[in-house]
Amino acid sequence: MTTYNENRQRRKPARMKLISPHAFRQAPWRVQLQYVGLFLLALIAVLVVAGVYLSISGQAAAAGLAYYNDNEDIQDLERQIADRKARLALMTSANVMETRAKELGFERVDASRAVYMVIPGFTGKSPAVLAPPPGLVATQEPLIKSIYRQSLWDWLFAGINRLSDSVGGNNP
Amino acid sequence: MKLKSLTNAHWLAIAFTAFCALVFAQMIRIQTSGHAQNLESWAEKYGYEVRTIQSERGYIYDRWGHLLAGNKEVYEVGVELRYVINPTAIATAVASVTGADFTKVLGMASTPYVEGQSVYITLKDFVDSSQIDQLSKLKQQYEESNRFGENPDLPTLRGLVWTPHLQRVYPENSLAANVIGFFPYLDRENARGFFGVEEEYNDLLAGTKQKVIVSLDPYVEQNIPTAPPGASLVLTIDREIQSSIEEILDNAVKVNEAASGTIIVEDPKTGEILGMASTPRMNLNEYWTYANVYTSGNTYNKAIGQVYEPGSVFKVLTMASALDLGKVKPETTFNDTGSIYVGGINIYNWDRGAWGEQTMVGCLQHSLNVCLSWVATQVGPTDFYTYLQKFNIGHRSNIDLSGEEVYPLSIPGDPTWYEVNLGTNSFGQGVAVTPIQMIEAASAIANDGKMMAPHILKSYIQNGQQYETNPTVAGMPISKETANTLTQMLATSLEGESSDALVDGYRVAGKTGTAEIAVNGQYSSNATNASFVGWGPVDNPQFIVYVWLEKPKSSIWGSVVAAPVFSDVVKQLVVLMNIPPDAIRQSMAAH
Repeated sequence: MTTYNENRQRRKPARMKLISPHAFRQAPWRVQLQYVGLFLLALIAVLVVAGVYLSISGQAAAAGLAYYNDNEDIQDLERQIADRKARLALMTSANVMETRAKELGFERVDASRAVYMVIPGFTGKSPAVLAPPPGLVATQEPLIKSIYRQSLWDWLFAGINRLSDSVGGNNP
Repeated sequence: MKLKSLTNAHWLAIAFTAFCALVFAQMIRIQTSGHAQNLESWAEKYGYEVRTIQSERGYIYDRWGHLLAGNKEVYEVGVELRYVINPTAIATAVASVTGADFTKVLGMASTPYVEGQSVYITLKDFVDSSQIDQLSKLKQQYEESNRFGENPDLPTLRGLVWTPHLQRVYPENSLAANVIGFFPYLDRENARGFFGVEEEYNDLLAGTKQKVIVSLDPYVEQNIPTAPPGASLVLTIDREIQSSIEEILDNAVKVNEAASGTIIVEDPKTGEILGMASTPRMNLNEYWTYANVYTSGNTYNKAIGQVYEPGSVFKVLTMASALDLGKVKPETTFNDTGSIYVGGINIYNWDRGAWGEQTMVGCLQHSLNVCLSWVATQVGPTDFYTYLQKFNIGHRSNIDLSGEEVYPLSIPGDPTWYEVNLGTNSFGQGVAVTPIQMIEAASAIANDGKMMAPHILKSYIQNGQQYETNPTVAGMPISKETANTLTQMLATSLEGESSDALVDGYRVAGKTGTAEIAVNGQYSSNATNASFVGWGPVDNPQFIVYVWLEKPKSSIWGSVVAAPVFSDVVKQLVVLMNIPPDAIRQSMAAH
């Protein structure tokens, strides 16, 4: 059976434990500073996220407007190309060319005055080739690439799928 | 906590918190204010636009890539009524620059703005870009002297706008007008091609037209659809040949005082039409003159759209069938007594004369109706009409041009066929064809017996790729030997009569035709169809030419009016097609 004194001696270290935290407590202003710091950190984090969001939104809007304007420009250019083709054709029409040739002193050659000579390799005029024949034109890709249409999750899953395929998880 | 106990850090935290709270509150206020709701409703109302996406109409080229039909940029000039400040200034400017009626424009520009009802009015359409440049300069000039149109005493063109669009244009004006047809561009909503290639290939040329809703919200991810242009066509027509034959034809019609004329040039080996001229023609850029140019009785393209009795050019088909069946040979003789009795009717020669003993070459050379009627009787009605059908007589050639006509061929057994038809049909009377059907049939003789389908489309360009069309064999009515024999006979007969169709240095084969025209049920010798069909060079035919002059007054005979036209055409063709004279060509081939 233990005596009162023995118990008292045993409790001593316990008392020491209770007292020691008070000895290292932060000064109140330091604790407050920590709270303020934490608050500012959170605020900055929010501001950074908001900033990034605004920046991306701004870029997306600018890209959207640029796409819209580019589309208008394409249509303008297509009209201008058509117009210039027509103007060129007017300037080189059969009548105009004949008139110009006559003004320059040329005249139509008569069959009896024509001189013929053999030109090795010349097989005569070839009919108009205004576009490549079928089979030589690569298939057109969609205008907006899939990367611009994917969410982060789509992109992540697509990446994982590709990875698993490359590892050999998907046999044909 | 007392105020005194608040440290600087506390105040800082409170300030930041208050600032953030204010920002947050302002965000909420902006999102929920009345102004925001207005903006939202405005965005819903004007955030999208309905846009009509119209394909550019496809181009039409000749075989060498010369543009025959294209599109040019023009403008629609209008007023946005909401922004109009000075209608008089607008009317003055538009009337002076574009030539529009001042009073009319003033009336339109003065229309009061009513939201959703009168918002925009078109003042003038199809305005040239040079006129738009003038309007633009004027508008800018006024704006500099009267900013925002604030001074009512000074002119301003505020509210005047212009929108570009395309208009069909034909750079060659009337060249190949009968082949190309026209596109009535003034009707922007419902226009479609009329006649010729424009009508035949309207669906291919037109492309697509669609209305799409386009979001004006830059955040909305969308592919604004673009309408690919309509397919472009490359024709078999050679612009230079076309120009030449039109000039020759116009001159021939004028000199011979003919009612009209037609010339077709074809490559007999492929059926490609190198040139097709017909009178009258109109400037396709002024298509509204159609009613004045094509008065009653005038077909848009007589080469395909008007049937007529071809006369003696038809004799080549009669002779071809007899030769092919072996009923006659070039040296077979026939004693021409001046008439022959077929189906209860006496048939006479063109001069009512008796030509005595003639070989088959002589029969062709002197174009003897009596002889050819005898030849037809030797062939017999069944075989004769079988051959005519093999030559596609009585059927459309199915050339890819709009408006081809056909006259049915009466054959034994039909209620419209009589025995005398065998005699009259043998020399091209009592049977009707279009020039294109006639040249198609004759092309078999020029191409070793192989009849190629005449066509006008060489290739087409769609989605950036050029697709070639393949020549099609329409039939093989006679053998190669028959074709070559007949070609030699026809060449000899031309040389024998020193025909005006001959061309120095080039051996050609051909046949004249003079057909009387039935007026009020009676044939009149004063009104004829003068024709000529010929091809060359005989040893390697590279062209076949058909000439038809309707009711020439200078002379009624094909040999007098049509044969020289053939010669003129060939003289141009050999230069334009780089065909050396026979002697040079044969010596070049020998090396």
